[in-house]
Amino acid sequence: MAEEFNVDGMLDMFLYESGQLLEKLEGIILEKQDADCFDDTDINEIFRIMHTIKGSSGIMMYENITRVTHKLEDVFYYLRESHPENVPHLELVEKVLAVSDFVNGEMDKIKDGEKPDGDEKEILEDLDNFLKRIKGEIKEQGIRLPRENKHEEPTQFYIAPVASEDSKFYRIVIHYRNDTQMSNIRAYSATYALKEIAEDLLYTPEDIISNEESANVILSEGFYMLLQTKSEKDEILSLIDSAEANQIDIERITAEQFIKGFGGVTQPEEQKIVIDLGEEPPAEKKEKAVTPGEYVIKAKETGKGKTLAKNQPKQQSIISINVEKMDMLMDLIGEIVIAEAVVLQNPDLNGMDLPNFQKASAQLAKITTELQEVIMSMRMMPLTNVFQKMRRIVFDVSKKLGKEIELEVIGETTEVDKNIIEHISDPLMHLVRNSVDHGIETDAEERVALGKSAKGKITLEARNEGGKVYIIVRDDGKGLDKQKLFEKARDKGLLGSKDKEITDYTDNEIYRFITLPGFSTKEQVTEYSGRGVGMDVVVKNIQSIGGRLEISSELNKGSEMRLVIPLTLAIINGIVIQAGNSSFVIETSSVKEFVRLTENSIVTEPDGEEYIILRGEAYPFLRLSRRFELDNALEKVDDGIVMVLEHENTQVCVLIDKLVREQEIVVKPIPSYVKKVKGISGCTQLGDGSIALILDIGGLIHDEERG
Amino acid sequence: MRNMAEREEMLDEDTQKGQFMTFQVGKEYFGISISYVNEIIMMQPITMVPEVKDYIKGLINLRGKIIPVIDVRVRFKMDPVEYTDRTCIIVINVKTTVIGLIVEKIAEVDTIQDSDIVPPPSLGRKDSEQNKYVYGLARTGDTMKLLIDPEKLIKDEDLEVMEEMQDEEE
Repeated sequence: MAEEFNVDGMLDMFLYESGQLLEKLEGIILEKQDADCFDDTDINEIFRIMHTIKGSSGIMMYENITRVTHKLEDVFYYLRESHPENVPHLELVEKVLAVSDFVNGEMDKIKDGEKPDGDEKEILEDLDNFLKRIKGEIKEQGIRLPRENKHEEPTQFYIAPVASEDSKFYRIVIHYRNDTQMSNIRAYSATYALKEIAEDLLYTPEDIISNEESANVILSEGFYMLLQTKSEKDEILSLIDSAEANQIDIERITAEQFIKGFGGVTQPEEQKIVIDLGEEPPAEKKEKAVTPGEYVIKAKETGKGKTLAKNQPKQQSIISINVEKMDMLMDLIGEIVIAEAVVLQNPDLNGMDLPNFQKASAQLAKITTELQEVIMSMRMMPLTNVFQKMRRIVFDVSKKLGKEIELEVIGETTEVDKNIIEHISDPLMHLVRNSVDHGIETDAEERVALGKSAKGKITLEARNEGGKVYIIVRDDGKGLDKQKLFEKARDKGLLGSKDKEITDYTDNEIYRFITLPGFSTKEQVTEYSGRGVGMDVVVKNIQSIGGRLEISSELNKGSEMRLVIPLTLAIINGIVIQAGNSSFVIETSSVKEFVRLTENSIVTEPDGEEYIILRGEAYPFLRLSRRFELDNALEKVDDGIVMVLEHENTQVCVLIDKLVREQEIVVKPIPSYVKKVKGISGCTQLGDGSIALILDIGGLIHDEERG
Repeated sequence: MRNMAEREEMLDEDTQKGQFMTFQVGKEYFGISISYVNEIIMMQPITMVPEVKDYIKGLINLRGKIIPVIDVRVRFKMDPVEYTDRTCIIVINVKTTVIGLIVEKIAEVDTIQDSDIVPPPSLGRKDSEQNKYVYGLARTGDTMKLLIDPEKLIKDEDLEVMEEMQDEEE
């Protein structure tokens, strides 16, 4: 049946929705991992998530996912209905995570175009045993199991039945052809389609997804739905997939009949539409019309399940957009800004007195600025998801290592550009793993002896400060041992010369050793750290997005790793300068100062290298025009301006011709056809439509050091 | 749906088949299949990029899109000439790489039949790899036109290195 749907669209939707739900699930689980048990809200929520995934995977016919989620749904159904005590909470957490992993794994396969062929048996058995066990315990305590309610809840589509005046009520009966395969899934897809317009929807048989037998019932008896909606019959009919249907009856009923459920539908009201789709005379039909109550499960309360609907609107208010389209929009807005500048600064306007034009153009300028701000904010995403992953890692790793660790998360709603989020996930994961693995002491007694609580604590914090985002991983563990680090670095020959003493280095420099390539000790290679991703890779990744890593630590008190990253890659605050005929942009934050110097303050080495003595200190000196072989540049230092630039505590002085202005610039990559140039990190358009190159201070300095 | 699109594409290709944008560089005329050509624009202010091949003149701003331009004359190892008001930039799209070609003069769009195209004579030219971007000679009217394969024109050792770099980045 899948081929009758628009499979691609549905698949995307399925993957997206389920992905979101699973993320939410993990969020709930990990938040409550340390609690004694889940509260009612959580149980309901997990139940609902499992139910939704079960339903949609059923439609997509991913049976193993359906079975696994169904089983977990059973477990939570039981928890919800019986409120059993003595549920091993940690074990339950693990079970849920196992299911979540399984479904995630299968979804990855689906994404790659493979068949989800994972074997669900083990998980199913595991869950079965678990369920039996918690049930068994309860039986001993003499609490009755509410088995008969078993399938009551899931039949509701969690849409709050808000009856409004123009709501209409329908009774829909679908008869499928006798040879229809999997009529239960078909029926389910019909309910799924109606969900869009339904204010409330009941159907019977109810266990169409979980019970394969229901297919036979549907074939022999027909599939009954009660629908409350504002839509007309035609619309309802168009939504129902009629491919295999023999006959679809839609009849209007009253609200009272609706509330009574299936049992209450006795006589059709005025209108009745019978659409005969098949050649076969509807012989069975009559028989069914008189006995709809037979297979109706009683005690149907339409109002039930209302509370579960609370999360629906949240998801509906979010749409996912292809990043390419966002980029296109961004480019277009960039064009508008340029076009605006071209119009407003048009030389034809010079010297004209145009008050109305000025007013209108001011309005235009305001709107374009706002447009730019909106598109930028659209690219911003909270760090919540990344931090959630970290929770999971702390949970997994600490359990495996037998360490008790509490994770505190601060400021997870801090927003960062999407591109940056993609880049920090891996480095952050590495830092967190390191903290769990090496930071926190293995032996709890050791901690107690040092006057710390037996339980280790890791703090994950994000905050926004001065146009930068700080992401901090802090642990209260061993801390970095300077002596040990120094010796290790020396033994590995990372120090250059062997004669240096530990006193030759500042604390900071010593901590930096761990970021050197090749600095990974044997004891560091465990399952969780040392998977070939060293700290040097972390640093490299962070640097690639214009960020840096700061380390501070105190022995036996703990250490702190701070990632300082830019808010966005796309817009930076830059100073536009000119050298020769070319414009360049330098990120404002890397400019220390501007100075005017005379030829006298320059010291030239015999090999042509130049230095500047500024307030008693020597800085490397670089003429931008010579470095990039620019035409028409100033030669005399006296006429130009010297900028003191800083990158990671290294300074360099650069001679430029003149300063133009400071402004926000939209960073664009250099087209890939032009090969990478050392010292240039990108380009941008200036207000007049011309292009300026963005200087990469790190590249300049690096080059200078080597050269 | 898809069939329609395919058919349209084919139609599109059909009407473009055998059409060549011809331009003058030096005293010779060159042709480039029109299917590569996005548009032709007037000479623009070019922002030079340091430390690149001499024929890569720099970057231009094509309505918000920043694209590199190469001087075809320099690419053909001829001496550069001053740009005049006849100098144009042909914007081509080769496998999603958008590049501007600076040419001295645009000639016209010519229809050249496959049968009129002969491969360039290879006599004694085995070593001159630099010319491999000319894949055929075509006679139209009384002039000979050198047909250029733009993929080879822009793709030389540089681009390959570039691609490797990109792969690494990814």
